[in-house]
Amino acid sequence: MVVTLVTRDAVRLEFPCAPGQDVMAAAEAAGLYPPSMCHEGSCGLCQARVVDGAYEMGRHSESALPAGPGGVLLCRCLPHGDLTVELPCTDAQVGRHKVPVREAAIEAMGPAGAGAVALTLRLKPDAERGMAADFIPGQYMELTIPGMEIRRAYSLANLPNWDGRLDFIIRLVPGGAFSTWLSERAAVGDALNVRGPLGHFVLDEASPRPRCLVGGGCGMAPILSMLRHMVDFQDPQPVHLIYGANREEELLPEEEIAALRASLPQLGVMLSVWHPGPGWGGFAGTAAQALEAYLANAAETPDIYVCGPPKMLDAVTAVARARGVPEGQIFAERVQS
Amino acid sequence: MFCFQCEQTSRVDGVAGCHSAKGVCGKDETTADLQDVLIYQIKGLGQYSARLHKLGQPDRAADSFIMYGLFTTLTNVNFNRAVFMELSAEAARIRDRLRGAYEAASAKAGEAPEQLAGPARFEPSETLPGLLAQANVASVRAGAEVVGEDVVGLRALVLYGLKGVAAYAHHAEVLGRAKNEIYAGIAHALDFLATDPVDITALLEEALALGHLNYAVMETLDAANTGNFGTPAPTSVRTTPVAGKAILVSGHDLRDLHNILEATKDKGISVYTHGEMLPAHGYPKLHAYPHLAGNYGGAWQNQQTEFAAFPGPIVMTSNCLIEPQAGYRNRIFTAGPVGWPGIRHIKNDDYAQVVQAALAMPGFAETAPEQSILVGFARDTVLSVAGTVVDAVKSGAIKHFFLIGGCDGAAPGRNYYTDFADHAPKDTMVLTLGCGKYRFNSHDFGTIGGLPRLLDVGQCNDTYSAIQIALALANAFECGVNDLPLSLVVSWFEQKAAAVLLTLLALGVRNVRLGPSLPAFLTPTLLNVLVEKFGVLPITTADADIAASLNRQAA
Repeated sequence: MVVTLVTRDAVRLEFPCAPGQDVMAAAEAAGLYPPSMCHEGSCGLCQARVVDGAYEMGRHSESALPAGPGGVLLCRCLPHGDLTVELPCTDAQVGRHKVPVREAAIEAMGPAGAGAVALTLRLKPDAERGMAADFIPGQYMELTIPGMEIRRAYSLANLPNWDGRLDFIIRLVPGGAFSTWLSERAAVGDALNVRGPLGHFVLDEASPRPRCLVGGGCGMAPILSMLRHMVDFQDPQPVHLIYGANREEELLPEEEIAALRASLPQLGVMLSVWHPGPGWGGFAGTAAQALEAYLANAAETPDIYVCGPPKMLDAVTAVARARGVPEGQIFAERVQS
Repeated sequence: MFCFQCEQTSRVDGVAGCHSAKGVCGKDETTADLQDVLIYQIKGLGQYSARLHKLGQPDRAADSFIMYGLFTTLTNVNFNRAVFMELSAEAARIRDRLRGAYEAASAKAGEAPEQLAGPARFEPSETLPGLLAQANVASVRAGAEVVGEDVVGLRALVLYGLKGVAAYAHHAEVLGRAKNEIYAGIAHALDFLATDPVDITALLEEALALGHLNYAVMETLDAANTGNFGTPAPTSVRTTPVAGKAILVSGHDLRDLHNILEATKDKGISVYTHGEMLPAHGYPKLHAYPHLAGNYGGAWQNQQTEFAAFPGPIVMTSNCLIEPQAGYRNRIFTAGPVGWPGIRHIKNDDYAQVVQAALAMPGFAETAPEQSILVGFARDTVLSVAGTVVDAVKSGAIKHFFLIGGCDGAAPGRNYYTDFADHAPKDTMVLTLGCGKYRFNSHDFGTIGGLPRLLDVGQCNDTYSAIQIALALANAFECGVNDLPLSLVVSWFEQKAAAVLLTLLALGVRNVRLGPSLPAFLTPTLLNVLVEKFGVLPITTADADIAASLNRQAA
């Protein structure tokens, strides 16, 4: 079915709507965000008027429904066929979540454990966003090398800031196009295009449950961002970090973890190395095994945030599910191996 | 969870009240339950405070906490459960202190201290699951099956009116104005509620007593605002932006706005007001800041679109806050009782991060063509031309006054207020206050009797000013307020409006048209009382109600 929204200034917005889908959900799926608030038929902000087509209204508060023929609430309007709906707002008031594309320059590059590079970019000031480096901890950016068809997604390791600074941890893939460019050709001052922020791997701030963050390799970047956010807000929520690596050399420097522990007193840390050297005194095993050990002793089922390569993700989520962690409490983000 | 305190409460399938995982306002059930627990604890504090006041030994810090704590539970103020857990722990500590002080004060007075029951004895659990398990006793519907819906509804009216009183009193207190009678009145109401009152007459009396108390509170807040920032004067306010860096300030708190103006002086940043902050421009000491550039946007319900489009940081100083969208999450700040999980909260009046954000963001690229509206018609301004007004009434140039104001909201029925203001005959004057004004304040009302035909009296608490104007006119015409050619058309949304309504009823103002819907916590019996005893009228259509108002005067 096709829904056409007509704004007050006569702009027509067309998008598909599936059977059983309400008009608001269909609009948002198409990247259009008419004014809305409660999404449950009670506040009245998504009021509109159907001028053509059949529909039914789901449960709603009568006082929220516009009077007169065709009065609907978009969040409760279920089309029975093609629908034309007049909106009381202008086209400018219908949100579009345009993902920004911005220019940045390399500010610094350095090692971040064996086989990884810490990359700092500085965004160029932008007419719409100024110097804002705007993202939610856990999100990622798509980096493109100008003039080349190379585009890669990397999670942000730092915090949103007003200085335009973006920090990434890039795992070097032998023979990989971006890795090769980064290790052999990139220099401070070089330009990169940055598209984002993207992604839904973010902390559920409203959840009362303790958090268990599981990171491996460059999957540590969003985890670090989340932990730094908790430090920034002095968030007292109980939080446990499981940081897994294949070999000790891949772990981030001790000072990074120590600094986090110093400023987030309730942070528990478990470093797990799969193939440890003889001197390793920490947990020997995979991150999934470390999670198993942690959940076995956990007093309360935590929210689990896991970021890493596909195999690690699968193993960790399998352990979580086996231990009865509900799907809604498992947040996973995949990175390349 | 059960909450039915605001105008947009869920009314689905004949059940009035939000009772699922999340309220219509966005607060989740855990936060709602924690708010109930905090209110329960605050009743306990009231039990001790009321007795300490009687013994002449009030605890100012506790009384201040009571007001702040109640403020955090108003609609669209605080959604952060971590805040409520802290407040709950603090309330328990204060209760312990008050108990000790009460026992000592009683001993000093040679009296045996009462063994207080109910909320005064409540020991909150130290864990979240524990607190939630205790929340049942604190529900606004606790005891409904025993005492009936009418009693539950009246207890709710008293509680919600009290919340409004506390919010206004808090705004006055932070500006340095507080009165013992206000703290004592709030404590009295809490102590009363802690007895789980069942007598309808006593409950109604308490509601009206709160109405009188709120009058004193609004008077105090008026003195606080004018004492600190001068007497409001007619002021033209830009409603379109000027080029340059920008900060947006919303909510009601003039002290916060003043601090922001000081923190942004000479930095090349323009400060814009939003929503109920608009009347700030009328205060000479605030207007004197050259970088207080104008007003941006309309009423609270459009904030998600408006804040996303605003090219700078936003500070929310009181309600109404609704869920911050991703596009401005990192540049909205809460202050005072306001909070949202993961959103930065201003502490110790330190606006450094807001300034940093404003300087980093682009601001407005261009100065838009100027549009403006007039504000500042509080009591002194209007009464300074009282002679002109009286003459205009006597000559027939002004046939009627409509006060169309209160809260705005999203409900479609609120276009009634636009229609009412637009269709009011040209020989009538329109006064407005509160964010309900945005339903029509950008329209051209022209002049009447040589005066602007639309007079913006101020914020919702400036109902005090409107009442003074009505009293002065009644004096000039040697009649009662209800005999004036004056009709009140009040739109409500939250608890400050509930307090204002109680004030109007307590003062004996009749024929108040209340809308867009009637409070869900008032049963048909209670609504009948409002209608029969106090003359409150539900709204019908703008044209019918305009005609009825003019006919009532003629009658």
